[in-house]
Amino acid sequence: MPDHFLGVEGASVSFGKGDARVPALRDISLSFERGALALVMGPSGSGKTTLLSMLGCLLSPDEGTVFVDGVAVNALSESRKTEIRQKKISFVFQAFRLFHSLSAIDNVAVGFEIRDSGEPRRMEMARDLLLQFGLGNKLNQEPNQLSPGEKQRVAIARALAGNPPILLADEPTASLDAKAGKNICEILRNQASENGRTVVVVSHDPRWREFADRTITLCDGQVEQEVNS
Amino acid sequence: MKLAWQNIIHDRGRFSVTVLGVCFAVFLMIFQGSLLAGFLRAASRLIDASDSDIWITSRGVQAFEFGTTLESRVREMAAGVPGVVETGRVCMAFAVYRTPSGTQQVIALVGADPNVGRRFPVPNVPESAGETSPDAVFYDVSDRKQMDVSSLPAEVEINRHRASIEREIEGYGAFLGVPFLFTSYRNATRYMGFGRDDAMYILLRVGNGYPVSDVQQNLRQRLPEVDVLTQSEFAHKSRMYWTMKTGAGGAILTAGVLAFLIGLVVVSQTIYANTMENIEEYATLKALGASQTFVARIVLSQALICGVLGSILGLLAAIPSIGYAKSLIPWIYAPWWLPAVMVVPSLFMCSLASIASVRSALTVEPGRVFRA
Repeated sequence: MPDHFLGVEGASVSFGKGDARVPALRDISLSFERGALALVMGPSGSGKTTLLSMLGCLLSPDEGTVFVDGVAVNALSESRKTEIRQKKISFVFQAFRLFHSLSAIDNVAVGFEIRDSGEPRRMEMARDLLLQFGLGNKLNQEPNQLSPGEKQRVAIARALAGNPPILLADEPTASLDAKAGKNICEILRNQASENGRTVVVVSHDPRWREFADRTITLCDGQVEQEVNS
Repeated sequence: MKLAWQNIIHDRGRFSVTVLGVCFAVFLMIFQGSLLAGFLRAASRLIDASDSDIWITSRGVQAFEFGTTLESRVREMAAGVPGVVETGRVCMAFAVYRTPSGTQQVIALVGADPNVGRRFPVPNVPESAGETSPDAVFYDVSDRKQMDVSSLPAEVEINRHRASIEREIEGYGAFLGVPFLFTSYRNATRYMGFGRDDAMYILLRVGNGYPVSDVQQNLRQRLPEVDVLTQSEFAHKSRMYWTMKTGAGGAILTAGVLAFLIGLVVVSQTIYANTMENIEEYATLKALGASQTFVARIVLSQALICGVLGSILGLLAAIPSIGYAKSLIPWIYAPWWLPAVMVVPSLFMCSLASIASVRSALTVEPGRVFRA
């Protein structure tokens, strides 16, 4: 492994028990560089989401090691993994997963609250983030009053609250139209190139290829292809 | 904790039902607590109204209402014990009361010497001497209807003796279901047909410099055939009899516990339903790095929000209701601290109700965030 900032080494994961046991990832080793956007593609069931779950400390491999910021996280306690997610990792989801009862600004403020509950300026900081993403006129709108593209921008703003160095995105454009999808691609691209974050995007969407520094294709739980752009 | 608040008020109908459930539970707990407090107070009210240090009763008397006569020598012997500076007598018996219109009913007649206590509701106590005749009869204002007198003074009959009702008093309403009438000791023994020196209770005042416990011990040695109790011991014994031995206290307590359980079920159901409805959001919070404490705090806050609002409404409803209930239950009594103290079990109830919900929120897999 050239860089152990974020990656997996010899990782295998299976789901189910006995005869129903299905391998999701088989002995894969991958490393993700700082400040780069990596795209993980592959057909359904190829292990993309399983890989993302491992990188996000949400799933431990049956075998192998997961590294986050140089630390092997497999053996860590759940509370330690939570702490790592809190400080270093954030997520963007296909279904946005915004808190339905909160306004856009409050959703982002929750992101700050989780990462630093003592931060007194979290509302101001949440406002600044939403302004950056062109949502200045939507601050007090609830998720059901926002378009899908706006929801995803709020979700990205929430993910960026607290300035985590790693951003993991699961099909972030799958629910968006072409224009909104491109906007999200650009935002995440900028997070890598301008803010130095490590961005890993799992997607079927071929539009991502032009924004990625590297494209990894998985098939049947193994790395089929790696292409640097 | 804006998330906790927003989540709980998002479904206003459910939130209202929960707050009303807590309100109802708190109202009932305060009301039942007031019944119990009033019952305890009423059970020893006359004992507490005396200024005496020691009560002598016949052996085995359980409560003020069930005294039997003592031999006259008991009083004489008690008066001779060092430290006893004053003796007084109290008697109580059921009697037949006849109104001017001819209706009859049973009443509880209490007679006492004027020196038994300034608060004891009998004529001739130093504070009210001269305001009424020495043989006046008093009744509690809450029993006015049963007394059936249109104006005071009123001539009535007690055990076929003419009696003059001269004053209404407050705070000594019917506790046994029959009204209390109060008069002088001399008058009461006449109505009851007792001997002039008979007494049911002998009350003693102990002089300064004599420990009450020493005098009590001395009396017990000299008068082994009677019970010698301090005022607080007899009051406690009387309260225990009415609350525990009759089952009345148990019934009131049971109603209070049922109120607690109703609140518990209402809050736990709502908080659980709310938590399960938002379980994906708890998974998201955990995926984003929220600690277990952070997640638990949200669920607990929701329960406590319901608890606090429900308690406030319950208090606001209970206080005037208890005031109104006094016309029906004269002895109901809400000490000033009772509503405040009842907030504690209501918040405990809400915290308890959130346990299952907190568990669900804490055990949700954050990995489910990737399931669309």
